[in-house]
Order: sequence, then structure tokens, then C-alpha cells
Amino acid sequence: MKALLFAIGLSMTLLGSQYVLIVSKKSGIGSLSTQQVKEIFLQKRHSIGSERVIPLNLVGQHESRILFESNVLGMDRDRLNNYWVKQHYEGVSPPLTQGSFESIKAFVQSVDGSIGCVPMSMVDSSVKAVYEF
Amino acid sequence: MRFHKLALSIILAASLQAEPYTLGQGYQVNDMVNVGGYFSSEFAKKGAQETITLDDVAVMAYGDIDPMLSYMAELEAVGFYSHNMTTGVETGDRKFHIERLYGDLWLSDAYNIRFGKQITPVGYWNKEPINVLRDSSSNPLYSVLLFPKFLTGIDINGFIPGAEGAKYHLFGQNNRDLDPGYINIPNTHFFGLSVEKELPSDWTAGGSIGDYITAVGNQHTRYVQVNAKYDDATWQMMAEGLVAKSEYDDTSSDNTLSGYVQGMYRYNPQHAVITRVEHFTDHHRQYEDNIAVVGYSYRPLYPVSLKGEYQWHSLEHENRILFSFSVLF
Repeated sequence: MKALLFAIGLSMTLLGSQYVLIVSKKSGIGSLSTQQVKEIFLQKRHSIGSERVIPLNLVGQHESRILFESNVLGMDRDRLNNYWVKQHYEGVSPPLTQGSFESIKAFVQSVDGSIGCVPMSMVDSSVKAVYEF
Repeated sequence: MRFHKLALSIILAASLQAEPYTLGQGYQVNDMVNVGGYFSSEFAKKGAQETITLDDVAVMAYGDIDPMLSYMAELEAVGFYSHNMTTGVETGDRKFHIERLYGDLWLSDAYNIRFGKQITPVGYWNKEPINVLRDSSSNPLYSVLLFPKFLTGIDINGFIPGAEGAKYHLFGQNNRDLDPGYINIPNTHFFGLSVEKELPSDWTAGGSIGDYITAVGNQHTRYVQVNAKYDDATWQMMAEGLVAKSEYDDTSSDNTLSGYVQGMYRYNPQHAVITRVEHFTDHHRQYEDNIAVVGYSYRPLYPVSLKGEYQWHSLEHENRILFSFSVLF
């Protein structure tokens, strides 16, 4: 796992940001700070200003999710699973999951407030990038 | 009674349609209904007394009714069954009480409202009060003796504008508890403010102030509490302190002081060693104790907890051994 993270991190350093978090182009959300993104995906924050946010994860162990969890959330999968056990007692569930980047993009286009990760190459005029990693 | 029926009907209705689940994360029936529960059991040896207790048995349900409204309902029986191995006496209280019954109204990042019976948002221990989420079998005395564990009222909460990573809770109660037989300090009036900030490099820090009047004895207490924690994948260090001043029937007043420092070393995700030193002084009751705790925690899976500890007290008759087994499901 450490070797994989190192390889991903090295490629990110060489290539620059590969992934972005997107929201609907109609959303009033502008760029987000790392702290805000962390709060949204750990379900500590339910809105930006008065706009409700719905975080989406890609199902499974795709490299984008591993990278997001380690570099943005600052947790490996074990620690994150422990976090969600504690949140279950608090009445908080993990973010919804989608099966592909395409379904994340379609969800974001159709559901106000949803926010999810896609490759930079999938950003077009129908969505707005609010965070790069 | 009607609140018990409401909470129970939510939980039962949910369990009828439950799907497979992840241990420790409950059944997610749909967005509106998640169900789960927990139990804990404990063996204690204090002097010549040895006791086995099935301590907590609880069921809970929660979910989103609307994008702006969510709920939590929890029923719990405490001291469900106890067997004193020294005397042979068996006791138990199988009555389920309302642990939590509240709604959350999500209005904005800076302003949300929680209404109903809820856990008082003070410190670290009170917000994670169940055995399976703790890293030691016991918890510090301040968390059970110095402020009401529950609030039946309103908590206005959110992020503090302009202070990234900082949250506040402004809460109040001006009535009796929803289940007055099931609270550590029955009270008729409880107001407080808590703040907490996430700091760089795995640190958090915060504090609280509060004011309550007990339902029995008319004790009026005001407290100030501070807390700080460092928590990475291997080490956790935490410390809290609380000072309270109480007036008793307006005829006398006294102070109570309490604080602890705790360290934990996780040498892998399943195994951890915990040490804690604690001080507690209640001048009014002339009760003073210094406590040192050494414990071990084993979690074959995170929601399954086996723990053991030994407590040394300056009041030597309070020395004890504790073992506990608890599961969150």
C-alpha cells in the first residue's frame, strides 16, 4: 500500500493535478479549501453558506479515491472505516457511492448540491471544478 | 410513555426491511432509516467483591427525513443484568430508557438547530459515551459527576464564520429531562456554550462554559472546561480540565476541580496500551481522589472491543480491576 501511495504521489508531482471535485454549473459554490472539502466528505459539514451539499464517492479502491483519502482527508482506509463506525453512533452515514466517474458526473449534473470527484479531462461546461488534487 | 412508543415504532418499522450491513455501521434500509445498536459487558474486582454485569443494551435508528431534517432515536437499558460473584446476588433493570430522541434542522453551515433529548456537547468523553467507542473500560470522573450528560432542549450549532475548522454549540434547557429517571444529574435549567477548533497536525482544542440547577437540592453550578487532543495513527494524547463552583440552597458555596491527562500508543490497528492520571476534588463532599490507570485495548475488528485495566486510587479502597467486552452493530 505504501509503495502504491508513493507511486501515485510521485506521478502527481510529475504530472500535476489529475482529479477535480465538481459541482453543477448552476451551483453558487466557488472554490473550496482543503479544510472545507475534508469537512464535507467526513459529513461534518452539510452546507456551504446556505447551499446544502451532498458528497459522492467512487465505489471501491480506485487510485483517485485512495489519493483523495490519503492526501485530502489525511486518513488511510482502516482509519477512515474506524471513523465511520464512530459516526454511526452519532447518526451519520458515509457519503453515497457511485459506480463510475460517468455516473458521478451525471449525478452532479442532475442533483443540486452534489459534489464528486472526476478526472480533470471530464470537466466541461456542464459542471464546475471547485477543488483540484 | 408516548415518546417510548414513538422511538420503538421507528426502530421496529426499520428492522422489518433491513438489508445486509457492515458490522459497526448499522443496517441502512434507505436514506430515511438506518438501524443499529450496541451492548457492553464488564467484569469488576474491587476488594473482595467480584461482579459481572451486562451493562448497556441499546437499539437506535436515524436517517434523513428531508434534505434539511434528520432524526435520531435511541433506547437503552443500563445495568441490564448483574451478578455479584462474591455474594451470589443477581440484580437487573430491563427497563429501556430514552437515551436520545432528537431532530436536526440543517439551515446553513453557520446555523443549525438540534432539538429534543441529546447528548450534551461537552468535552471528548461525553460525546462518545459508550464502552465500545472508548479506549479504556472506565472514563474520567469529571464526565459523569460534574455536568448533566443529557440535554432536553435546543442546541444551536455550526461553524464559526471566519474561523476555519472551528465549531460552536450554544445550548439550553429550561425544563426537566425527557426521562428524568435516566440522567446523571436531574436538572430544571441548563445552559451552556462549547467551542472546538481543528488545528494543524492532528491537534484539536476547545472549551465549554455552563450553568445548571439541579432538580433535587436546588444546587446551582457554573463550570468552565477546557480540552486538547493530539491524535495520529499511532499516538493519541488528550487532556481536559474542569472547574465548577456550586451554591447549595443559597447558604454555602464550594468548588470542584477535576482533570486528567491520557496517553495511548497503538502498536498496530488492533492493539493499544493506555495510561491515564486523573485528579478529582469536591470540597463540598470532602471527596478527593487521585487515580492512575493502566489499560490494554484489543479490537479484532474496530466495532468489537476487549479491554482490561487496573486503577490505583489514593483512596485505596477504590482500587479495582476492570475487563470489558462490547460490540457496536
